[in-house]
Amino acid sequence: MPAVPVNKSNIMAKPTVILVGADKGGVGKTTVARTLLDYFGAHQTPTRAFDTESPRGTLKRFHPDATEVVDMTEVADQMKIFDTLGSAAASVTVIDVRAGLLSPTLQALNDIGFIESANKDQINFAVFHILGPSIASLNEIAETARSLGNATYFVVKNRINDTTFFEWDPATYNFYFKQIRDAFEISIPKLNEMACEQVEVASTPFVSFIANKTSRDEKANYSFVLRGYVRHWLSNVWSEFDRVKLIDLVSPKEEVGPRQATG
Amino acid sequence: MPFHGSVTVIASPRPRVGKTLLTRLLTDFHVQEGHPIAAFDLNVGNGTLAQFLPEQTIVSAIGDVRGQMALFDRLIADDGAVKVVDLGHESFDSFFALTQQIGFTDEALKRAIAPVILYIITPDATAVEAYHGLRRRFPRVALTPVHNEIFGSAQHRNKYRFAGSGEVMLRLPALAPGLRKFIETPPFSFAGPARADLPTELANELQRWLRRAFREFREFDLRVLLADLQSSIRLPS
Repeated sequence: MPAVPVNKSNIMAKPTVILVGADKGGVGKTTVARTLLDYFGAHQTPTRAFDTESPRGTLKRFHPDATEVVDMTEVADQMKIFDTLGSAAASVTVIDVRAGLLSPTLQALNDIGFIESANKDQINFAVFHILGPSIASLNEIAETARSLGNATYFVVKNRINDTTFFEWDPATYNFYFKQIRDAFEISIPKLNEMACEQVEVASTPFVSFIANKTSRDEKANYSFVLRGYVRHWLSNVWSEFDRVKLIDLVSPKEEVGPRQATG
Repeated sequence: MPFHGSVTVIASPRPRVGKTLLTRLLTDFHVQEGHPIAAFDLNVGNGTLAQFLPEQTIVSAIGDVRGQMALFDRLIADDGAVKVVDLGHESFDSFFALTQQIGFTDEALKRAIAPVILYIITPDATAVEAYHGLRRRFPRVALTPVHNEIFGSAQHRNKYRFAGSGEVMLRLPALAPGLRKFIETPPFSFAGPARADLPTELANELQRWLRRAFREFREFDLRVLLADLQSSIRLPS
């Protein structure tokens, strides 16, 4: 697996847009978006997020300060995201795309000239495509890849909820995967169900749960065992991000070393 | 930072090497010393810790998350109590795998709780390998070999490198054969009043045996304390 290429001309601070999406619901898009926000937070990379589950967003429940709920089909909200890329304090913009809207969103980005800007190296653009369990998801890969331009494309196998999630025929999977130039595969490991459930109930970022803090940064009383499970799991997820040198994509100068999700 | 609690796990991957006897002794030692203590029993079957010391013992299991929470959340609780775990050989691998995964040692040290493993040594390769595995995986734990003298001289001791606070081996004195039938009939507390049916000669032998065992524990406690003091006065480089 190659590392994300770092273009030396990109070393100047340049806005980064990361789309997290899938054409199916329930495959864990928001979970992956949450791990990304925690990851960039741990790297002191200013990040903002847009939750397209309008009017009520799940991502906003976990990261209320960093997240704004938008309707990606509305031009006003598209302007809110893309017209502010150069002026926002945050250098990274994570967009949690509602189920079924990934392909239309990519089409819209093409229409407004965003993909072209990315192709001209004015914007870092990455897509986290969360795969579903069915073979139909594989068709999405090829379809999505056609709209990407020079974006960095991450195919994410999200096993958080089920260990037997991916039982595709490897030959079929490779056939689709290899159609995409410079695609990177990321695997999200399984998280213990009760630990997962408790973080949901707590409605906090994963890092806050690990640190035994409430969403208001007050001391909480979460189970040490469950926090341990989440810490271990998040470290593994971040190891995947480190492996594909994700931080190099958003801030090429930074030296990336091993880092743990500490509590 | 002085320790104000400890978690001692009595372990061996082998059955019938004296883990429960050692746990009973250690528990009663702390009872006699007036320390608040909670003992946790990860054994199944007969002759378990819970049968000998029902008042101090919490029966535990780590096969599911609820059981893991009931055990580890209690072990890590910052309540100043001494915690002792009688780790059945069936749970050896899963217990230490979970301990490592959830970061128990770091959290315990952060809370000034001393993590200790008392490891009953035997000459077989499985036990020797498991001991060195624990040393690699838990370098900050006071991993201490224990020689159960009922098995004769510890000619295999060289296979065990001594570590942490247990730079010397802890000894579990051999029990006089005549005492066994009395102390191996549950419930039985070494800290309680002497049994009326115990002949005077055996009662005296039991007292001698307990004095030896408890002296070992006192010296071990001092070594943990000494290691703690040494680390607390270490100046930053």
